[in-house]
Amino acid sequence: MIDWAAFFVVAAAALVAACAIVTLFSLALRFGDGATTGSWQRRVSVGLYVLCALVVLFGIYLIIPALHGG
Amino acid sequence: MVALVIALALVFDFTNGFHDTANAMATPIATGALKPKVAVALAAVLNLVGAFLSTEVAKTISGGLIREGEGGIQIGPELVFAGLIGAIVWNLITWLLGLPSSSSHALFGGLIGAAIVGVGFQAIDGGVLLSKIVIPALLAPVLAGFVAFLATKIAYAIVAKRARDGFKRGQIFTAGLVSLAHGTNDAQKTMGVITLALIAAGQQEVGSGPQLWVVVVCALAIALGTYSGGWRIIRTLGKGITEVEPAQGFAAEASTTATILASSHLGFALSTTQVASGGVIGVGIGRKGASVKWGTAGRIALGWLITIPAAGAVGAFMALVEKLGFWGIVADAAFAAAAILAIFIYSRRESVDSKALDTVEPGDIVRPKRKKRKNKDGSGSKA
Repeated sequence: MIDWAAFFVVAAAALVAACAIVTLFSLALRFGDGATTGSWQRRVSVGLYVLCALVVLFGIYLIIPALHGG
Repeated sequence: MVALVIALALVFDFTNGFHDTANAMATPIATGALKPKVAVALAAVLNLVGAFLSTEVAKTISGGLIREGEGGIQIGPELVFAGLIGAIVWNLITWLLGLPSSSSHALFGGLIGAAIVGVGFQAIDGGVLLSKIVIPALLAPVLAGFVAFLATKIAYAIVAKRARDGFKRGQIFTAGLVSLAHGTNDAQKTMGVITLALIAAGQQEVGSGPQLWVVVVCALAIALGTYSGGWRIIRTLGKGITEVEPAQGFAAEASTTATILASSHLGFALSTTQVASGGVIGVGIGRKGASVKWGTAGRIALGWLITIPAAGAVGAFMALVEKLGFWGIVADAAFAAAAILAIFIYSRRESVDSKALDTVEPGDIVRPKRKKRKNKDGSGSKA
């Protein structure tokens, strides 16, 4: 009937993914807040934004079946 | 008959589009991350693109819910026609009430109702109905709500108040992902129905996928529907449940995206609408000082509960009328046209358009308010 194993896998994956992206973006905002150009905070912030972009790209990869063979 | 089914399926596709714009775009509009018109245009384009990306879902549309094929029951175009009327009418009624309800459930409900009248109760697989639709409908908002609740806690713990407007930029991307995912799923349902009708009429080979023109018109119909914007539902989801701040909007969209993608790739199908609504409720609980209007949430939940029976009842009634033969079908078509027109005219009495939601000044977008730096947290006006 209900595939509870599948449900818990989905729940765990959703939880981890959502928390990860929110954490990354939040940290990026925190480091970027008030940082001047060229400071190390700014570099960390930009790096975190890039990580966020990668997560978004992974999302797009998951959405488009042609990229991962159905 | 086939032409009628196709026309009606496209109308359904259109209602599907404007019904579900809210899933992706309600929170970015509510927080001012995107202007309403820009938001729906973005959603429309992404839906259009998404519809072309995949036809996997279309091939499995019947999904075993209605027993068909060998040893099963043939669901003819007449029953699909009746079911579609049920789905469209219910979609329009929930839109009029501003309720975010699942378009897929309306479609399934309509088809189920029509199948019960046309063939009998043995046409429906009760176990599949319970495990594929009813229980996921309970789990989806709870899961998405919980994820969004945690995400909100994280966002508020890490980011100081003055920097929180930065979440608006992030919202654009997360909302875009929801739209794209929606396009790859929802336009498929209509393609599946049209393909089913074509196969049933013997105009297409059994087991073949949707034809190119079907893909094109379905993509256009859902994009047009999305662009026309279901402002009533956007208002409910974006402002009716709770006041959404940018950080919450980002958390809600991220949770919705993560939950939908996880569900579609790890094999536990969940409704986009229910996930998105659950996400908004979750962020409402997650922020200190935010209140969730449980009355509105309850109305939405009630809407979900009666979606399948209500669409089913209309579908069943249509199927009953069809038993009169040719004139029954004419009567059905007339009823559908009259219902659509009546609801449209009724909606004009209290029209809700993008202007009702256009509250944030365009210049305010994506600009942290630096003046507030000296204020202690919470003493400044709410951003």
